Amino acid sequence: MRTLLPLSATLALLLPLAALADTHVDERHPLAAGGRVEVSNIAGKVTVRGWDRNEVALSGSMADGLTLKQDKSTNRVRWEVVYPRNSNTRGGATLTLRVPRAVEVQLGTVSADIDVSEVDVRRLQANAVSGDIAAAGRSGETTLGTVSGGIRSRVQTPRLEVRAVSGQVQAGGGISGEITAETVSGSIRVEAERVQRLSAEAVSGSVDVAVGGLAPGGKVALQTVSGSVGLALPAMVSAQLNVKTFSGGIQSDAGKVERPRYGPGRSLDTRLGGGDGDVSINAHSGSVRVTLRR
Amino acid sequence: MNEHDDLSARLRALPDQRVPPARVWQGIAAQLHEEAQLRRLDAVPAAVPADAVTAERARRRPRRWALGVGLGLAAALAVLVVVPMPTPHTPPPSMLQRQADVLAGEYQQAMAALPAATLPGDYQPALHELDASARSIRAAIAENPRSGYLLGQLQRTYALRLELTQQAVMAATGMPT
Repeated sequence: MRTLLPLSATLALLLPLAALADTHVDERHPLAAGGRVEVSNIAGKVTVRGWDRNEVALSGSMADGLTLKQDKSTNRVRWEVVYPRNSNTRGGATLTLRVPRAVEVQLGTVSADIDVSEVDVRRLQANAVSGDIAAAGRSGETTLGTVSGGIRSRVQTPRLEVRAVSGQVQAGGGISGEITAETVSGSIRVEAERVQRLSAEAVSGSVDVAVGGLAPGGKVALQTVSGSVGLALPAMVSAQLNVKTFSGGIQSDAGKVERPRYGPGRSLDTRLGGGDGDVSINAHSGSVRVTLRR
Repeated sequence: MNEHDDLSARLRALPDQRVPPARVWQGIAAQLHEEAQLRRLDAVPAAVPADAVTAERARRRPRRWALGVGLGLAAALAVLVVVPMPTPHTPPPSMLQRQADVLAGEYQQAMAALPAATLPGDYQPALHELDASARSIRAAIAENPRSGYLLGQLQRTYALRLELTQQAVMAATGMPT
């Protein structure tokens, strides 16, 4: 009797925990190159890793009350974590997705962080609201977007689009070709290799871009309203450099800053090397700094 | 021709010339009559005793002051009533500002068409951020109406505001995103 009492008390305490136990996830689906996999989850975390198999696998755990909705066809699989309406479910789903090479990966979360690495995919698209996105690997085309979460991309890609509202954006690790980076109040830091087209825009956030080289006829366009702009170009670059501000200052290793005889505004227009490409910078009240790297 | 039309329009826009009320002229006439009487008193005959004249002049001096003040007030009143006051000059909105106004109106209409819902907290800071940014871009447009790129920035900000509001409404109402 003496031993039964503590045992029943312990069981009584463990009973609610058993009721809140996580649901395990272990799903697989064959998917060849060119196929598409989509994962949607609100809270928790989504981790993506590549592997050398012709199938996708989703594993992990979901908080009690959550269910996994599946939609599968030969070339497409979609997994969505469904949260019960008007419930007090605490916790989300922590999921790991394994993907083959040359597939399209599409991820969507709200507060869940997204972590992608060791992948070699045809297309990577990841969107979050307040969750952070960290991405690395190789992708033929990459689109990353958050609202308030930060974006850190080390994806080797010839086509990158990164968008945030207040989140910080950092992109590097072998990006080249066409690059678009946009924020509203978050800062943008891009380190690119050889660029065909690079566009970076912010409103109050700062824009810092370093370009390793400009393809023939390549274009770089940077814009802010009140955020500062920093651009580093190779000393041997061939481009026409045009900078305009309304009240912000201009500092440049090349060219001469002009000021109108009357009224506000500063501008700089100069030819770098052969003047092949176009580099334009517009800032309203933000300051601009252009550096030529030797 | 346009210049002539513009001048005519501006002339028509001036306030109508107004005649001071009759009582203002009656008051001025009464005061002038008293002034004339005072002048006659100054030209008194030598037979009148000097003390009497001085006493009469001393009695009437305050009325002279009152007459001056009255005339001054009447003149000021006439100026205020008749002369149109210049209106402060406000420059007309620039082309870029008008375009910004149209843009703002279109996006406001689009957002007003969305179903009313309590938006999730995850979206609120970003929506406020976008509204504040749109205001700062519009202030920059007003400051520098020649920066066409600012209109692009404004359009991007409004498009993002609409897209996020749609997402937030869908999340709040349980509709698929």
